[in-house]
Amino acid sequence: MSLSISQRLSIKRFTRGEPPKHSSIRLNHRRIFILPSKGGLALGSVVLLMLIASINYNNSMGFIFTFLLAAAAQASTFYSYKNLSGLVISMSKTPPLFSGASGHINVLIKETSQRQRWAISIKHQKNSDDFNLQASQNQVVSLPITPTKRGWYTPDTVTLYSQFPLGVFRAWSPLKFNAPILVYPTPVDTGLSTPLKNSKESNAAIASLDSGTDDFAGLKPYQTGHSYRHINWKAFAAEKGLYTNEFSADQSATIWLDWAACAHLSLEAKLSQLCFWVLAAEKNGLIYGLRLATVTIEPSTGLNHQHCCLKALAVYE
Amino acid sequence: MNKPIPPSITIQPALLKLLLVIATLLVLPHSQHLNPTFIIAGFALLAWRALTLWFPKTLPHKLLLLPLSIGLALLVLKTFGMSLGRDASSSLLIILMGLKLLESRTARDVQAVIYMCFFVLITPFLFDQRIELALYALIIFFLLLFALILNNTRGLTLKTPPLLRLSGLVLLQAIPLMLVFFLLFPRMIGPLWAMPDNNTAISGLTDTINPGQVSNLALSDETAFRVRFKGTPPEQKDLYWRGPVFWETDGQAWTLTPPRKSAFERAKAIPNNANDYQYTLMMEPHNQFWVYALDLPNKAPNRTRLSHDHQLILDNKLSRNLSFDIRSSTHAKITQLSSDDRSRALLLPNNTDKRVISLAQTWVSSSTNHQQVINKALRFYNDEFYYTLKPPSLGTNPVAEFLFDTKRGFCGHFSTSFATLMRAANIPARLVGGYQGGVYNKVGDFYDVRQADAHVWVEVWLDNSGWTRIDPTAAIAPNRIEHSIDVSQNRQNGDVNFLLTPPEGLGKWVQQLNWILHSVDYHWQNAVLAYGPEKQLDFLSTFGIIDWGDMVIWLSIFSGVILFITLSVLFLLHATPKDTVQTAYLKLCKQLAKKAGARNHHETSSDYFKRINTTHLHSTTELNHLKRLYLTARYGKGQSQTFINAVRRFKLKN
Repeated sequence: MSLSISQRLSIKRFTRGEPPKHSSIRLNHRRIFILPSKGGLALGSVVLLMLIASINYNNSMGFIFTFLLAAAAQASTFYSYKNLSGLVISMSKTPPLFSGASGHINVLIKETSQRQRWAISIKHQKNSDDFNLQASQNQVVSLPITPTKRGWYTPDTVTLYSQFPLGVFRAWSPLKFNAPILVYPTPVDTGLSTPLKNSKESNAAIASLDSGTDDFAGLKPYQTGHSYRHINWKAFAAEKGLYTNEFSADQSATIWLDWAACAHLSLEAKLSQLCFWVLAAEKNGLIYGLRLATVTIEPSTGLNHQHCCLKALAVYE
Repeated sequence: MNKPIPPSITIQPALLKLLLVIATLLVLPHSQHLNPTFIIAGFALLAWRALTLWFPKTLPHKLLLLPLSIGLALLVLKTFGMSLGRDASSSLLIILMGLKLLESRTARDVQAVIYMCFFVLITPFLFDQRIELALYALIIFFLLLFALILNNTRGLTLKTPPLLRLSGLVLLQAIPLMLVFFLLFPRMIGPLWAMPDNNTAISGLTDTINPGQVSNLALSDETAFRVRFKGTPPEQKDLYWRGPVFWETDGQAWTLTPPRKSAFERAKAIPNNANDYQYTLMMEPHNQFWVYALDLPNKAPNRTRLSHDHQLILDNKLSRNLSFDIRSSTHAKITQLSSDDRSRALLLPNNTDKRVISLAQTWVSSSTNHQQVINKALRFYNDEFYYTLKPPSLGTNPVAEFLFDTKRGFCGHFSTSFATLMRAANIPARLVGGYQGGVYNKVGDFYDVRQADAHVWVEVWLDNSGWTRIDPTAAIAPNRIEHSIDVSQNRQNGDVNFLLTPPEGLGKWVQQLNWILHSVDYHWQNAVLAYGPEKQLDFLSTFGIIDWGDMVIWLSIFSGVILFITLSVLFLLHATPKDTVQTAYLKLCKQLAKKAGARNHHETSSDYFKRINTTHLHSTTELNHLKRLYLTARYGKGQSQTFINAVRRFKLKN
């Protein structure tokens, strides 16, 4: 894991962090940078004043304590470094979000060096959080994010920083993680008539769902992805296991959420509308397929299916 | 134990209490020499801040603090004027520290307060640099570091051993770099700007001598200077430390006329002699122009000039510790006397009492030479006078009153009256101020000359031997010259006591301890406080460092070395801890490979062990046991040490 000279000297390495390569990063001398903080510059001017006073009065004790203060500040960098080094940072997976909704990125910080850590701050964009760490403690820090664009959202540089111990030097470590978060389009109902009512087959499906008079076709062992609305709770209560009711109408009540149905909307509005429909169809326990200009997803139902559809919408180009 | 850290809007009470204690400790050493108004103001501000701990409502509003600050600043200005000397700046800093503490509400304010405290910490040293004060300051320095750390960790209590230890470690690690800078940072001669505070009373001789003046000094145990002889020191009675020479008197006081340019031109150095005494003189700052050399100095050491009456005169007033290497001859005499000087040394004030003159004349008329007159005068003193440090006070005509009425006194009385008598007898005479004797420190091998050893004697001109020292005090109280004054005894009973016999028993131990303490102090003064521009060059030239350029180069080199050491420690720390389980496993594989063939790269540990088990049936149980230990140690909750020990015991049977 070596860097080329140009990468080593790039100023971005100090502010933005190295390009992500591993899912977890152990902080070491290559990742931690230390420079005087604002408080450090202030201390520098105090030391300078003390030095001038000592020179003026040719005062040995003045010199001693002036130099002692400066040397203590210098020695503190050692502990600034130790406070961050050896931490293992990773970003845990974040479930998909809807664009415009707020979510969190979760950063996992592991103390692996048997040392207590003090007053570390973590910052992502404008949000930050502070924590102390006990020896061998793991800590998850959640930082809020609000992605505004659908598609893959890559978290920005996460910076760990600390002014420990004297507040004179700031040690920081900019980190980048390859942990993209899927962002679905914002679900928006533009008020367009639902495609559910446009197809003949689905009409029946809607009607049967509304009246509840469709034919019960039998039970089927529950599988992940089946709508929970169709679980036969009586059978479950009788401790016979999880079964799903099958309706004859179900098999025929396949609806298509069609790109063409909202042809006159702009691209983003189309995707938002389709997103809304996908959510509505899943909520109503329908079997639905998605038909986009370039992608077609065969009808099915369940959360996995919903995720497939929403992902197709999210990454649609 | 991972509480979320509260946003620190208010300061932790524990930290605030610590800061108040520190600030109080910082003001305390100033109470001796600063204007009490500012000490009281400083304490009042601190007390106010302490009050807010229990009554938060008393915390003043910013609008109130502003006029308060302006008022106090004006008070400083009014007291000290525009000059920013050490008194003014110390007072101002104390006030500012109190005000800032009163205003502090956030962690950033506290940071500023602590920085100010560091500055206040060095101000007492402008007045006094005793070793006790230095240790005291070191403790405060530690507390300040601790406060700084607490402020930056938002620590909730003071009882945090890791943070206390950390403050100590930072302090210890700072010392090497501090020493490098202390030794190698180029020192400059002379102040950057004029310092207006030379008016502080520093004890010691002044440029006037009144008959009754030296007695204040006799009760002072303070060190005036220290001397270390190269070779055998002279006898105690020969230790006359020559200071200012007084020629002029108005009948009451003798005043010093600073030597003119011609006085230095007429000065003649004494040629070196094998019997000369060589010694190092460590002067304490006394804010005067003269240096006390053993009577008589051969020639002027660095930074001083020799006058024709063999005073060593400094170019500037002595405001810091300085040391001089001097060579003196106890037998040499000054044998030059110009007619000007002769008339100066014979001048009697007009108001001289008739009785004084007639007494002198009776001795002259019954003698054939000056020596006989002097002997008669000394016998007169010896017969009728007492040595005491508590003499009756004298009026407007001190010489006559002393000689004919009170007849009690000490060196000041004896010498002034003796010189007057000599002049009345037409013998040129002058007064020499200085010190006599000193306490020899066996531990440190040096003489500690204290203020209590201050002394005044007379020099008379004899045609055949030149200027001759006559000490009338020796005629009356030979003990004074042969032994040193015992200051602690003087304090107790107000009478003169001398250090006559070496103490016995417990007193001996006390004396030993005293010597050690004085030795420590000597080295402190000599090595640390006197480390100025000259001493630095002296010291560094022994290593071949002779100018600023060299100092800067070596300063960078040493700082670099210290930084490098720190960095290497960091890299060593960084080295990832070895995986002991894996090491033991690889060792086991190596052992197995010898007898059962090496592990293939695609083989997992289970596969490999299984393969060996088919060929080495005797070891199956052991191997299986090992495998289980390895897997649990590496992937499960097994103890790594159990596996390592098992590997160590294992031996493959065929």
